[in-house]
Amino acid sequence: MHELSIASGLVEKLLEFFAHNPERTILEVRLEIGELSHIDSEQLRFCYESIAKETPLEGSILTIARVPAIVSCQHCTYRGRPDYWDEALASAPVMTMRCPHCGKAVEADQGHDCAIKSVRLLETHTAPSV
Amino acid sequence: MRNMIKLEAQPDEIYDIELEHSLLEANEKLARQNRALLDEHGTTAIDFMGAIGSGKTTLITKLVEKLKDLCGLAVFNGDATTSEDADQIEKLGVPVVQIATINGCHLDANLVGKGLRKIDISKAKFIFIENIGNLICPAEFPLGSKARVVVVSVTEGPWMVRKHPHMFLGAQIVVINKIDLADAMGVSVEALINDVHTLKPDITVIPTSCKTGEGTDRIAETLLAI
Repeated sequence: MHELSIASGLVEKLLEFFAHNPERTILEVRLEIGELSHIDSEQLRFCYESIAKETPLEGSILTIARVPAIVSCQHCTYRGRPDYWDEALASAPVMTMRCPHCGKAVEADQGHDCAIKSVRLLETHTAPSV
Repeated sequence: MRNMIKLEAQPDEIYDIELEHSLLEANEKLARQNRALLDEHGTTAIDFMGAIGSGKTTLITKLVEKLKDLCGLAVFNGDATTSEDADQIEKLGVPVVQIATINGCHLDANLVGKGLRKIDISKAKFIFIENIGNLICPAEFPLGSKARVVVVSVTEGPWMVRKHPHMFLGAQIVVINKIDLADAMGVSVEALINDVHTLKPDITVIPTSCKTGEGTDRIAETLLAI
């Protein structure tokens, strides 16, 4: 349940932002989660909503986009989507670190991170009268 | 007259702002700091991950027995509640740090960094870090170790590697333990090795029995060569 640690970090960061911008309401938080990170979107959402309760973030929507993994091979110069082990399990394709071209080991260039990309805000301050 | 045009959001206006912030970066930064501190002292940390009962503590015990007269060692034992593992290692006469995560399902770089401040790093050539018995969460949290070892055992069944593929993608060494029980379990060690290499062709796989000692010399040699 490492999603709880990730969600705590997320809420902490947003509340820090909110403290500097008290006249704005956060409506939506957009995250990107890499294919290589081991974070379950539904668990993260559940943890976020639980922690956000009774804070200024309560009611905000968490939108999660998945970032595909990109790997590169030092042996044959392949760069692109990884090879999948389709027959490993019935329910889901399993990503491997095997080059789809030459079968040797690849390095991951993209797909490790989990990051806040943007937030959607509602301006709530009252404009000064002119 | 200033040329800058300033636009301000009006009340009730909805708008987006970019807020690039990695949620994993905080741990990764601490892991890099741990690594720099270890490198400064010429110390190599090895992170042992695997399920409860796969044999992590027994393996570390064997490695400590083999290596303690050759070089300085220290062991960090991560455990949610008990100090059973740390108590066992302490009897071998090497510095031990018990890291109790209480409700935490993994060690993180912050906890390991605190542990590093409790010992004399300069006296340790190796620090063996035993992670929490868990096959998913620790993979997400680098600690600053030079190598990550996954310990699996044949008693976890024939599909163990396929069921937890993520754990292996970031590891350098896989120990397949309890091979003395493979026949009784009806599990093929060869098939497990093939599964690991299908996931990651360049990973080192070492079949062992920590009970009989088979394969443990090769693990010690592999660690000494890192």
